[in-house]
Amino acid sequence: MRRLLVALAAGALVVTASACGSSGDSGASDSGSSSGGTTTVKLGLIPIVDVAPVYLGQKKGFYGKRGLKLEISTASGGAAIVPGVASGQFQFGFSNVTSLLIAQSSGVPVKAVSNGIASTGVAGKDFAAIAVKRGSSIKSAKDLEGKKVAINTLKNINESAVRESVRKDGGDPDKVKFVELAFDQMPAALDGGQVDAACAVEPALATIKSQGGQVIASPMVDVAQGTTVAMYFTSTRYQQQNADVVKKFQEATAESLAYADAHPDEARQVITTYTKIPASVLAQVTLPKWPAEPNKESIEALAKLGEEDGFFKKTPDVDALLP
Amino acid sequence: MRLQNAALGAAGLAAFLALGEVVPRLGLVKEEYFPPTSRIASAFADELSDGSFWTALGDTLTGWALGLAIAVSAGIVIGVAVSVVPYLREATASTIEFLRPIPSVALIPLAVLLYGSELRSVLLLVVYASFWQVLIQTLYGVQDVDPVADETARSYGLGTWARIRHVLWPTALPYVMTGVRLAAAVALILAITGELVIGAPGLGARIAVAQNSQAVPEMYALIVVTGLLGLLINVGARTVERRALAWHQSVRGEVAV
Repeated sequence: MRRLLVALAAGALVVTASACGSSGDSGASDSGSSSGGTTTVKLGLIPIVDVAPVYLGQKKGFYGKRGLKLEISTASGGAAIVPGVASGQFQFGFSNVTSLLIAQSSGVPVKAVSNGIASTGVAGKDFAAIAVKRGSSIKSAKDLEGKKVAINTLKNINESAVRESVRKDGGDPDKVKFVELAFDQMPAALDGGQVDAACAVEPALATIKSQGGQVIASPMVDVAQGTTVAMYFTSTRYQQQNADVVKKFQEATAESLAYADAHPDEARQVITTYTKIPASVLAQVTLPKWPAEPNKESIEALAKLGEEDGFFKKTPDVDALLP
Repeated sequence: MRLQNAALGAAGLAAFLALGEVVPRLGLVKEEYFPPTSRIASAFADELSDGSFWTALGDTLTGWALGLAIAVSAGIVIGVAVSVVPYLREATASTIEFLRPIPSVALIPLAVLLYGSELRSVLLLVVYASFWQVLIQTLYGVQDVDPVADETARSYGLGTWARIRHVLWPTALPYVMTGVRLAAAVALILAITGELVIGAPGLGARIAVAQNSQAVPEMYALIVVTGLLGLLINVGARTVERRALAWHQSVRGEVAV
């Protein structure tokens, strides 16, 4: 179902991207307009742990002191955010690196403006992991050959990363059977034996661990050192027309990321304001890293992996995507 | 009779709730993924005491009511207009049959492109889904007009408007009411689905957040809310139907001759 939606969204996107109509134009200029020195910008987010710095930065006034008023719209999945930004419904959005590379390589005019999240870089202690049920015979990524592995979206960042983990461990990633499953359903599916392993992120990962699940690999750590997993982005047109707003957003987000990284307790606290993660689970959650700058080498690594795995129509231009 | 029905309904619900309590407790399904009724009930109580829950409920009801109102008025007006003008009927028949089966959810990417994640996106889905229910029922209803009655009205010299008002409308009304009742349920389903998938504010978005957060009892509590909402809407729609059709024999019952 979700794959169908993504495909439809992508199809619709290509149409609007090539024949960008008046609706997008008006949307961008309406919301981009400022009143009394404050510019209201709409930001499309998924309500997950990853975006805590923005909520924290908003609370701390990092955006306000630069004359930006954030209007956060939450979408349930990245699939709604990229089209929303490309069509001018949101000025900024949050999406994983591979999704942005896919959009860029298929001609959707997106431009990264700021770092989002990065892997902790510590194997076994990352916010994303391949996990198996307690007592599973699967001990390492190579053992996933011939097994059913749950990932949230096929042909996207997590498939790239899991394939890389298998490859690095000496296995053949083509022999892994990938199954598309939402993160929140992974603990039950793993427990019930519908899948043999799951590539989960927090807070689903904390739930799996609390049931005795074992982490067998940290795919984002295998991709590169300090992998940039997701970024904040805008449309190229909005960036050209409102370079000053984009610059302010960049600065404010960089300050927010640095603050959140330095104050994990406050970040954990702010997560309770926009999610319903139970306190007992939240305490177990491994937070991602929030460096202010994206790590270009890791993004190039993801582009290379995605190309190897055949996710792109043509080679994405990393330099054009990055700020 | 009505009282007995209500009692039976309540008994059925009570049995269902008891089953929901016992099955996880016996370990037939895991408590973590399918919490017993009592835990869902306490999460439900927490929701009721949370102000943002009521905001979400209000958002969902706004989307539902507004979408339904647009769909019903458009469905009736277009339905009557299409049936009264013979050429229009011929011209639109295949178009309607082509558009009607398109699932509203397939329009989600379009809705996001046009309106982002806000109320208008949900409205697009709700109106698209529920419009056809009303339109088709209106078309059938108008078709059911007794030709003798219509001819009689004509020979008494009634104009087009008077014939619509006194002959066509009373015949079509029972059909329209069925359409409205179906549309009311469909509109609720689509409002919540839209919020769930797109993330527009409302109960659906709240369910999505609970899901993402591994907050299982809260998620079920919100699902129960949507079920209750559906029940209330159905009861409401039936009441409206009974009132509006009090004169009709389906409600009035046959009078012994």
